Amino acid sequence: MASFAETGPRRPVVESIRVDKVSPGARTTGAVRAMVVVIVALIMLIPIFVMLATAFKSRPDVSASPPKVFFQPTLEGFLYLFTDRAIIAPGRMAEFQAKADAGAMGFLERLAFDTGQEITGPSAYVGRLTNSLIVAGVSTALSVLLGTLAGYAFSRFNMPGKDDLLFFILSTRMLPAVVVTIPLFLMYRQMGLYDTHLGLILLYTVFNLSFAVWLMKGFFDEIPREYEEAALVDGYSRIQTFLKIVLPQSVSGIAATTVFCLIFAWNEYAFALMMTSERARTAPPSIPSMLGRGGIEWSAIAAGSLLFLIPVVIITFALRKYLLRGVTFGAIRQ
Amino acid sequence: MLNKVMLGIALLVMLAIAAACAAPAAVQPTSAPPTSAPAAQATEAPAAQPTAAPAAGGVSELKILWAQWDPANYLQQMGNLYEQETGVKVTIVQEPWGTFGDRFFTAMAAGSAEWDGVIGDSQWIGTGATSGYYVDLTDFMNSTGIAKTVTPATLTYYGEYPTGSGKYWAYPTEGDADGWAYRKDLFEDPKEMEAFKAKYGYDLAVPKDYKQFKDIAEFFTRPDQGLYGVGIYTQKDYDALTMGIENTMFPYGGDWKDADNNVVGVVNSPQNVEAVQLYKELYDCCQAPGLSNAFFQETNDAFTGGKAAMIMNYFAFFPALTNPQTNPYAATTGFFPNPEGPNGDRGAALGGQGMSIISFISDERKQAMRDFISWFATEENQAKWAELGGYTCNSKVLETETFLKAQPYNPAFAETMTFVKDFWNIPEFGQLLQVSQTELSKFILEGQGTAQETMDSIATQHDKILKDAGYIKSQ
Amino acid sequence: MASITADSSVNNPISSGRAVARQLSDRAIMNLFIWPTLVLLIAFNFFPLFYSLFLSFTNYRATGNTAPVWIGIENYATILTDPSLWEAFTTTGRYVLFSVALQTVVGFGLAMLIRGKFRGSGLVTTLILVPMMLSPVVVGLFWKMMYNPNFGYFNYLVGMGESGQLDMLASRFGNQAIQGIALASVILVDVWMWSPFVMLLVLSGLNAIPDYLYEAAAIDRASSWFQFWHITLPQVMPLLLIAVLFRTIEALKSFDLVMGLTGGGPGNQTELIAVYLYRVAFLGQFRSGYSSALAYIILIIVIAISNLYIRNLNKIKGEG
Repeated sequence: MASFAETGPRRPVVESIRVDKVSPGARTTGAVRAMVVVIVALIMLIPIFVMLATAFKSRPDVSASPPKVFFQPTLEGFLYLFTDRAIIAPGRMAEFQAKADAGAMGFLERLAFDTGQEITGPSAYVGRLTNSLIVAGVSTALSVLLGTLAGYAFSRFNMPGKDDLLFFILSTRMLPAVVVTIPLFLMYRQMGLYDTHLGLILLYTVFNLSFAVWLMKGFFDEIPREYEEAALVDGYSRIQTFLKIVLPQSVSGIAATTVFCLIFAWNEYAFALMMTSERARTAPPSIPSMLGRGGIEWSAIAAGSLLFLIPVVIITFALRKYLLRGVTFGAIRQ
Repeated sequence: MLNKVMLGIALLVMLAIAAACAAPAAVQPTSAPPTSAPAAQATEAPAAQPTAAPAAGGVSELKILWAQWDPANYLQQMGNLYEQETGVKVTIVQEPWGTFGDRFFTAMAAGSAEWDGVIGDSQWIGTGATSGYYVDLTDFMNSTGIAKTVTPATLTYYGEYPTGSGKYWAYPTEGDADGWAYRKDLFEDPKEMEAFKAKYGYDLAVPKDYKQFKDIAEFFTRPDQGLYGVGIYTQKDYDALTMGIENTMFPYGGDWKDADNNVVGVVNSPQNVEAVQLYKELYDCCQAPGLSNAFFQETNDAFTGGKAAMIMNYFAFFPALTNPQTNPYAATTGFFPNPEGPNGDRGAALGGQGMSIISFISDERKQAMRDFISWFATEENQAKWAELGGYTCNSKVLETETFLKAQPYNPAFAETMTFVKDFWNIPEFGQLLQVSQTELSKFILEGQGTAQETMDSIATQHDKILKDAGYIKSQ
Repeated sequence: MASITADSSVNNPISSGRAVARQLSDRAIMNLFIWPTLVLLIAFNFFPLFYSLFLSFTNYRATGNTAPVWIGIENYATILTDPSLWEAFTTTGRYVLFSVALQTVVGFGLAMLIRGKFRGSGLVTTLILVPMMLSPVVVGLFWKMMYNPNFGYFNYLVGMGESGQLDMLASRFGNQAIQGIALASVILVDVWMWSPFVMLLVLSGLNAIPDYLYEAAAIDRASSWFQFWHITLPQVMPLLLIAVLFRTIEALKSFDLVMGLTGGGPGNQTELIAVYLYRVAFLGQFRSGYSSALAYIILIIVIAISNLYIRNLNKIKGEG
């Protein structure tokens, strides 16, 4: 599929052969620019470094002033993330001390004891991570599928009121979501969608659809029709043309749409909080819930955010080649 | 393209008309909770079946919603005890503090029977009672004598609505109020004591009144050493700043309303103006840096970070300060109740919650909830609750030596609970809060206007809200 | 719907019988392709939109004990005559303007920097995109920590660390309350988070500029400034405008970031209209009628602005 796209009729420029690049100073200019890029990227990433450092800091180190750059790394944050704990009541401290002295404590238990807490059970985070995978995965697939189909239809067929229909699709994203929360909640309870994976999947699909349709329509607009027309003349049916000629050329668009839909569905917070309870709740709402105790568990928040970030970064990195060519919105006219 | 705008507007108008026609049908199920309750139950019943699959026609699991914090973990342990004794599983469903209220009220607006009970904030009780979300517990609490087992103040604030009516909607579960934590190592340092005496002419000790409090706060404010006098609430989000200011208002003799719900002349009384001025001075002179959007976590963090000599917080958040692993100063952390005002008045902002039964559940489930409350309210179990770390409201348990000695902050807590006061608890409390939060934030944090202007403005706006809602007769 | 034709069949003079057959199947395919999307969008938007629109003409509290009372346009009138709401609209305008403008400049700059290939450019691009992959809630929390004058890194990075005088989110320097710092710090976070989005779109525009344009310019010995002004910018403009459009829509509605950072304070300095909306729609108030009216006012503003953009966009595309 990819190879077809590369040999497509209007192969996008991958490597520049511009004149300024082959001029004598180009090499050094290039090196200087690469340096600048790396510096800028590092500056942009400072908060991410902070997050990384915080994830491995102990609680006193997190709120140390001035902030510590060098510190003794600990896994406390991950302990907070994956277990439920309670502060050990002073009356029971001796009992725990005895157990610790006897070396009868597991690694996590010991870690918890060192912060004056006992583990009361695994946290809900693992189950929520699974829910996140299901909900984000399925809803992304669904919005990309529907967005591709609708985008193609909007790009290739004439219909009355097409522009208005497209604007309607975009406008579903414009009403502040806060205000539809209560009506949606009523609707979901009536339909039995409350606290179900399906409910969240459909909701995220609907939210992503407007973006997906616009992105894909724009992409299809830029794929020349000549190939399709030739195929149609050759006796291919419209469906065959779509599957065999058009889809292989739209890999970039589909990849870019996937990344955007995934980022939204993976991170959505407010609806996940309001529309789910114990069964279908995803991970984002549980990140700030680590705030509710005696102090802010920064390291747990950092650890949770980092772990949560990794899958999206990997997928984006894997699809990076397509990303740039995918987000043209039909705005490129050559 | 202009026609697209026109089209959009035309579409909106059409939608409005269509909605107006369609609305009565659509709105019916939610508009009147008492009538809609059966419908809500009908839809809920099938979903509830699998979890409720009862052994002997009874209820096998109770779900009670609370905020996500340590007391909820303690209550879960009580629930585990109950399961051992009766076989009925009790699950405490925990929602983050920031969205606890949003979650609960949204579900209630939809008539949800998702939870059997809720341990709701004292300010919610008016809404819970008047909108038919809470089951009326008056007969239950009186006939079983439970009403008499808790201290009168907690019964009034956590259980009763309207205030003074003798109608109860909740069992006072977690008593709470604001108090202060302080650094004993600083207060008892001989050098500090000497320097303090030389400067102010009296001994450095736990402050009796707010004049001493301010002296001490100024005394310990030493930016060059990274030490500041106080950590007080300043957060604008929801209610933190208003709660913080109540801690100066109430001891100064001020209040939000008089017996007839009048606010003009009450909110902007000289006492309140003076109290607000004091809070502003404390913020300007002595607040630890970074506490501009501060609530319970931030003041605790300032304390454990060694930035503040004294911090305001709810007693429920003090356990973290007695834990040497989370607070390096734990061994020398002391606690004291809110100081007196200039005329010897006492007062402190109330926190805490009472346990209510949701009205949308079936009668069997309601009975099962009553059974659980009856069990939980016994003196024996309240003693266990207190031992685990819960703040009991049981008057006998509160007086026991065991309770007073169990935690370093318990004596201050017991004393504070005798003079607590609360904000409004009528259904319109959210609107009243928004006004006080905004105006107080402008004055305290931004320094706009004067204390008098601030309180005048709050009084005028509160008056309008209360008149619109019919609590004050318009002239 | 009866007049549907496929563009391609018009262009293709084939035998009429096959064309008819294909037209029919084209129509079926079009329906098959479009209706699932439309049905889903309509099903999920119909009730919430109508219901909230109806409520906007009523006096109703979702957690109240009375049914909605029809009061006509009173909610709208109240909102449009409330000076504190105009203040919130002004703050929002300032926020959107600065935030989107800065994102555009920074995003464009980043794209110009990393255009073209160099070793590791894919990795660098992905890493720069990381901020927009985070949940706004996490970003809010984290930057609150970054800005903390005690243990945050921000003050140290800008060289104000030792004194502990600067408190960004409190809009204070020492004991001096300075208007605007809080809003600026919120804007900075938004710019940090979303400049990569603008960069991505611009980069994709840059990638597609045909080389012969630059070659021709080089033969004419045009300055690089001339190349930028007459080739790069016009070619990238449509995508830049699309980025700006999406960012503007989102910025007008943004509240989670601000709620996490400042809660709208100090005073009303960061009280954006969407923050205010959240406050009246939830947070113990649940004033559904009033908040619905406010939401529709915001919707109309967003629609108007989007239309303006799209009109400009079409003009530029037409020229290109």
